Amino acid sequence: MIVCVAVVGHQNNPLYLQSFTEADDALKLHHIIHCSLDVIDERINNPKKSGPTLNEAFLGLLYPTENYKVYGYLTNTKVKFIMVTTDLDVKDADFFRRFHAAYVDAVSNPFHVPGKKITSKAFAQRVSSIVKSFGSAATT
Amino acid sequence: MEPDVSMETGSMIRIAVLPVGGAIPHHQLREYAAMLGRHTRIDLSSISSFYKEHQKSPFAHQPWETGCLRFKYMLGGAPPSPWEDFQSCRKILAVVGLCHCPSSPDLDLVAEQFAAACKGYSSALAKRCFAFCPTDSQLEDDGKKRENIILFPPSDRQTQEFHMLTMVQDLAATLLMEFEKWVLRAESTGTILKTPLDSQSSLGSEEVIKAKKRRLGRAQKTIGDYCLLAGSPVDANAHYSTAIELARLTGDVFWHAGALEGSVCALLLDCVDQKDPVLEEEVKYRYYTVIQLYRRSYLQDNAQRVSTVSFELEAALKLARYLCRRELAKEVVELLMGAADGAKSLIDASDRLILYVEIARLFGTLGYQRKAAFFSRQVALLYLQQDNACAAISAMQVLTMTSNAYHVQSRRASSKLQTSHHELGPSHGDGGKLHPQSVVSLFESQWSTLQMVVLREILMSSVRAGDPLAAWSAAARLLRSFYPLITPAGQSGLASSLAKSAERLPPGTRCADPALPFIRLHSFSLHPSQTDIIKRNPLKKEWWTGSAPSGPFIYTPFSKGGTTNSNKQEMTWIVGEPVQVLVELANPCSFDLTVESIYLSVHSGNFDAFPVSVSLPPNTAKVILLSGIPTKVGPVSIPGCIVHCFGVITEHLFKDVDNLLLGATQGLVLSDPFRCCGSGKLKNVSIPNISVVPALPLLVSHVVGGDGATVLYEGEIRDIWISLTNAGTVPVEQAHIALSGKNQDSVISIAHDTLMSALPLKPGGEVTLPVTLKAWQLSMVDSEIDSSKSGGSTRRISKEGSSPLLVIHYAGSWTHSDQSNNTENSVPPGRRLVVPLNVCVLQGLRFVKARLLSMEIPARINEALPKPLYVDKNPTDVVSRDDSMVKIDPYRGSWELRLLELELSNPTDVVFEVNVSVQLDNRKNEHGMPILNHENADFGYPRTRIDRDYSARVLIPLEHFKLPILDGSFFAKDSQTSDAFCSKVSNLAERSAKAELNASINNLISKIKVRWHSGRNSSGELNIKDATQPALQASVMDILLPDPLTFGFRLAKNGAQINGFSEESIISDDPPSQCVNGNVIKCKGCISAHEMTHMEVLVRNNTREMIQMSLSVTCRDVAGENCTEGNNATVLWAGVLNDIPLEVPPLEEVKHAFSLYFLVPGEYTLLAASIINDATDVLRARARTDSPDEPIFCRGSPFHVYVVGTA
Repeated sequence: MIVCVAVVGHQNNPLYLQSFTEADDALKLHHIIHCSLDVIDERINNPKKSGPTLNEAFLGLLYPTENYKVYGYLTNTKVKFIMVTTDLDVKDADFFRRFHAAYVDAVSNPFHVPGKKITSKAFAQRVSSIVKSFGSAATT
Repeated sequence: MEPDVSMETGSMIRIAVLPVGGAIPHHQLREYAAMLGRHTRIDLSSISSFYKEHQKSPFAHQPWETGCLRFKYMLGGAPPSPWEDFQSCRKILAVVGLCHCPSSPDLDLVAEQFAAACKGYSSALAKRCFAFCPTDSQLEDDGKKRENIILFPPSDRQTQEFHMLTMVQDLAATLLMEFEKWVLRAESTGTILKTPLDSQSSLGSEEVIKAKKRRLGRAQKTIGDYCLLAGSPVDANAHYSTAIELARLTGDVFWHAGALEGSVCALLLDCVDQKDPVLEEEVKYRYYTVIQLYRRSYLQDNAQRVSTVSFELEAALKLARYLCRRELAKEVVELLMGAADGAKSLIDASDRLILYVEIARLFGTLGYQRKAAFFSRQVALLYLQQDNACAAISAMQVLTMTSNAYHVQSRRASSKLQTSHHELGPSHGDGGKLHPQSVVSLFESQWSTLQMVVLREILMSSVRAGDPLAAWSAAARLLRSFYPLITPAGQSGLASSLAKSAERLPPGTRCADPALPFIRLHSFSLHPSQTDIIKRNPLKKEWWTGSAPSGPFIYTPFSKGGTTNSNKQEMTWIVGEPVQVLVELANPCSFDLTVESIYLSVHSGNFDAFPVSVSLPPNTAKVILLSGIPTKVGPVSIPGCIVHCFGVITEHLFKDVDNLLLGATQGLVLSDPFRCCGSGKLKNVSIPNISVVPALPLLVSHVVGGDGATVLYEGEIRDIWISLTNAGTVPVEQAHIALSGKNQDSVISIAHDTLMSALPLKPGGEVTLPVTLKAWQLSMVDSEIDSSKSGGSTRRISKEGSSPLLVIHYAGSWTHSDQSNNTENSVPPGRRLVVPLNVCVLQGLRFVKARLLSMEIPARINEALPKPLYVDKNPTDVVSRDDSMVKIDPYRGSWELRLLELELSNPTDVVFEVNVSVQLDNRKNEHGMPILNHENADFGYPRTRIDRDYSARVLIPLEHFKLPILDGSFFAKDSQTSDAFCSKVSNLAERSAKAELNASINNLISKIKVRWHSGRNSSGELNIKDATQPALQASVMDILLPDPLTFGFRLAKNGAQINGFSEESIISDDPPSQCVNGNVIKCKGCISAHEMTHMEVLVRNNTREMIQMSLSVTCRDVAGENCTEGNNATVLWAGVLNDIPLEVPPLEEVKHAFSLYFLVPGEYTLLAASIINDATDVLRARARTDSPDEPIFCRGSPFHVYVVGTA
C-alpha cells in the first residue's frame, strides 16, 4: 500500500506531503522524502541521454529503504512527485500521471502562490482518492 | 566492526602510539603524533639499509624497488580484537611510545612505564619509545643504553623530522624481519588459528578432524596476510589461492571469504596504478562472493554470541567505498542501504554506530548530502543513547555537521563556507538582490518538521555536552526561524534555555547566530544639515552651482546618469556630527523581550555607535532611533545591528531580515515577524552608500527675538535680524546668501556686507544680519480665510510656506584640515543652510477702488497771467509745505486739477494712518530748466486716519507731472506711434505704444507713495500700482502732457498796454486793489459795468513748431449764454473776437488785444479757443485724432470775470 506521497518544488521545497498510515511516523516519512531528493538531484544532474528515457518523467525506483520503496516522478519544471510504498511494485507512471494532473489543477488555481505549500482541500481529497484506488488495487 | 575500513585495510600494519611518562602538553603531543603520523608509507627501497637478511626470506617476490609498507597509527592504542587470528591486520604489530622528557625526568621510570604499557599488546613485534626534548643530563644518562628508548636530541624541526624518518624506517625494517621470522615459523611448525566462530566448548571428534583439515588452509591465509603486511602482494596472492582452494574443500566458508578478501587486497596492491574496468569487474565479482560467503557463514546457533554480520557489512562498506563514484551511485546506494538494513542485526551498539558513521561518510562522498545527514543523525541518536558527556559532545558535533544539509546551520559555519557570498556591507552593489544561496535556504526552510527536530536535538545534546554557546546558538536558531510553529510555552522554554545557557557563558560572549528580536532598517533620520551638503565645484567662484540637486526632486533626468550605482542613494555623514538611523524591532514571541543594548554594527571602524536598551512586550514591534558619530573619513557600511540580548552579543544583519520578508511576501517562509506584530509593510529600504567627509562648518540660524513667525500687515516693512552661529568645529570661510521660495521680492535688502565682514567665522562665532522685509500683497490664491475669527469678518492671512527662504551656501577651507590619508584631491563639500523667513502676512488696508477725479477751477482774470507751474520760482507756492494743504489760489490762473482718489477700507482691528507723499525726481528737461525746483520733492500731505472697520478716501493730487513742452519727444520714443498716422498701423507699433503707455503710467505711479503707520512700530507702504493703473490708463496723457496751446486772459492797462511783461509796472489805484510786494493786482470786482475794459488774450505755443490758427474768444454769462452775439447781447466789444488768424512761433506767446463793455454786472466767463491749421502729427497725437483732415480744436481754460456796478 502507499504509505506517503509528496510533491516537492523545483527548489527542493516541500509543497505537499501526506502520509496514509495510522502510525506516528511522520518524521520518518519526512526523512525518507527528504533523502530521496538526493537521488532525484543526481538524476537531474546526470540525466541519462538514452532515447526512450529522454522525455520520461517517471524515475522509477529511487531507492529501497527498510521496508519501504521510494518511487519518483520528475516534471519538466523540476517538480518532483515522490511516493513511498510498502509492497506495491510500481511498473508504470500511471499513478504519477494522475497525481501530476491533480497537482496541475491545484496550482492552476489563480489564488495559489507558486512555491507555496498546497493547502487546497480539494487537492488533498483527490490525492487520497487516487492513493485509495491504487492501494486497493495492490491489496486485491 | 572497525571504522574507516577499505579494501586496502588488509595491508596496513597497525602501530599503537602511546604517550608515556609524565603528562605531555597537548600541543606537544599533537606535534609529536603529527610528526610520526606523516610516515604512513614506508618504501621498501628506503629500509633496505636497516634490513638484514638472517635467513632466506619467505617473501620471494618482494618488490624491493616499488613496494612499500603501510603503517596505520592507532593513537592511544586499541583493545585486542577477538578476530586477530582471522585477519592479522587487526593485530597491533608494533608499539610506539611518545615521551616528553621535560615532564618525565627519570628515563628509567619511563622505560618501566613503557614496558608495562607494551604488556597489553602481546601481538606487538616491535616496540620503540621516542623521547623528545631530552635535557643534557638525560642525554648523558643515555649512555646506559636503555632498550627501546630513543632520544631525539633537541634540534631544529627539519633535523628532528629526518631523525623521525630514520627511526620509522628502522621500525619498518624490524617489523619486516619479524614478519619473515613469523612466516618461517608458521610454515615450519604451523599455528592454531581460531576465531570466536569456532565453538570452543564441545570439540567433538568430528569437529577435531574438521579443524585439522581446515588448519592448513587457515595457515595459508594467515601467511598471505603477513605477506600483504610485508608489502609483497604476489606472495600473498599465491598463499591466498592455496587458502581459498583448501577452504573450499573443507567447507570453511568464513575463512574462504577472508582469503578471498585478502586476495582482492593483494590484487589491488599489485595493480595499484591501473584502474581498468576489467579489474573493477573482477573486484566487484569477488567481493559480492565475499559478501555471500560471509552471509552463508552466519550460524544461527551461535548468533547470540558472535555474528559474522559485521564482516558482511564491513565487506559491503569496503566494496561501497571502492565503488564510491557518481557513475556507480545506484549500486553504492543499494549496497549502503543494504548495509543500513543490516544494522538491525548488529548486536553491539558501537558496531551500529560505526556502521552508520561509515554509511554517512560514504553518502557524503557520493554527494548525497541529505542521506549523509540522515545517517549522521542516526549516529547522533546512538550517541545520545549513551548517557555520558563525551557521547553528547560527539552527538552534538555530528548533528552540527548535519545542520548544513537541513539548512539550519549556524552562521559561523556558513560564513566559512560562503565567504565569497558573505561580503558584508552594501557597497558591493547587490544590496537589493537576493543571493541565490539565500533563496535556496528560504525554500529549504520549509522542511520545518525536520529542521526543528534537528535543532532540538542539537540543543539537547549541547546542553548535555555542557556547551552553553552551542546550546544558545541552537536555541536562538530554533526560536528565530520557527517561532510560529512553537507554542507560547515552548517559546518561553526556549527563552529560559537561552537565559540559562547565557548564565554559564562569560559576559560579553558573542554568537554568530542572532536570536530575537527581528531588526529591519526603517529609515535614515535625516537632519536637514545632512542633506544640505553640497559638492564644491573648485572651478567656479559660485561653487555651489551645478553640483547640487537644485529642486525638490531627488532624481532629475539631468543629473549624471549611467553610473552603476545610479539607483543607490548617496549619503554623506560628517566627522563629529551625530547621525541617526531608525530601525524597527519586532518581538513576535509571547514573552517579554528585553534587549539589554542595541547599537549599529559598523564594520568600517570609523563610527562610534551609541547603545540603547529596549524592552519589547509580547507580539510587538517598535521603531527606535539608533545614533552614533562618525569618527573618521571614509565609507561607512551598516550591515546590521549588534544586539546584546539573552546575555549574548549577536549581530543582526538587515539583509537577512530583508530576505526573510521577501520570502514572507512570496509565501515561502512561515511568517512575517513584523506583520504578525501589527507593524505595517515597509518598502524595502536599501542601505545607501554612506561616506564620511571631514568636519565641516555648521551654521545654525535663529531669528533674533524668537523663531516664531513675524506677523506683518500687507505692505509692512520691517527688519528681521537673523543670527548665524557656527556650531561646527571648522571655521566658515565662504558664505553666500541667496533667496528662494515664494515672494522673493518681498525681501528688500539683505546685509551681505555684514556676513562677508564676519568671515571667516570661527567655531562658536556668531554673526547677526538684518534682512529688510516688505510684506507682500495677499492674493486670493495664497491666502486662506481665517474663519476662526468670530463675527464673520473674513480676515485673510498668508498660507504656510509662502514665505521666502534665505539660502546660505557656506563652506570651510578648500583643503582638508586634517591630515587624513586622503590622497584624492577632492575638496571638502560645502553646505547649504535654508533659513525660512517666517512671515505671517495679515491683511492690512484694503483698496476698494481708485478713480481719477478731474475738475477745472476757473481763474479770475486780472492783469497778470496765470503763472505756469514750471516757471514758478515763487516761494509762496500754491501748495505750501508748511500746512500741507492743497490750497487753491483763485488768482493763480485756471486750474485743471486732477485728483486720484483712493478708497481704502480697514478690515483689521487696528488703526491705520495713511500718509501720501509724492516723490518727484529732479530731472532736468532738455532746456536745462528744472521741472520742479523743490529740493525736497516729498509733498507731505496730512495723514489720514482710518479706524478699524471703516473706509476712507485719500485724494492724491496729480499735479507737478506735466511736461513743459509738448513736442515729439514723448512720442518720439516710439516713432512708430507718430508714423502710424501716416503709414500703416502695425500691430507691433500698437503694442509697443501700449507698453510705452504702461511704462509711463508705472513711472507716474511709482512716484506716488502711500505709506501707513499702525501702532507704535508697524509701518509700511501700500501697493497702489495695480489699483491705480486702470484708473489712470485713460487719461495719462492729459496728466503728463501739456496742451499744445495755453490761453490766458489779462486786463490791459488803458488799452495801451501792449507789452506783455508789464505786470510789475502796473499800479492800480482802484479801491479794491491790493499791493502785494510791488505786484499790483486788481482785486475782485475790479471790472465795472458800463466801462470799456481792455483785455488781452495770450496764446502760448507749447510745441516746438510754429502753429497757425484762428483764435476765437467768447464770453458767456452764468447761464452759459453767449453774451457777445445775438440780439440780446449783454456785452459789447471792440476789436476782433472771432476767427483771428494768428501765427505763434514755437515756445513763444502771442497777444491779441480786445476790449469788452459789460452792460450788466455779474459773473462772466471768458473762453479762448482756436482751430489749428495744418496741425502736425504731434498735435494730432495729442488730440487723439487719426484723421489727417479733421481740424484740431484747442480750447483754453475758462476765466472768470466779475463785473460790478449797477445795471
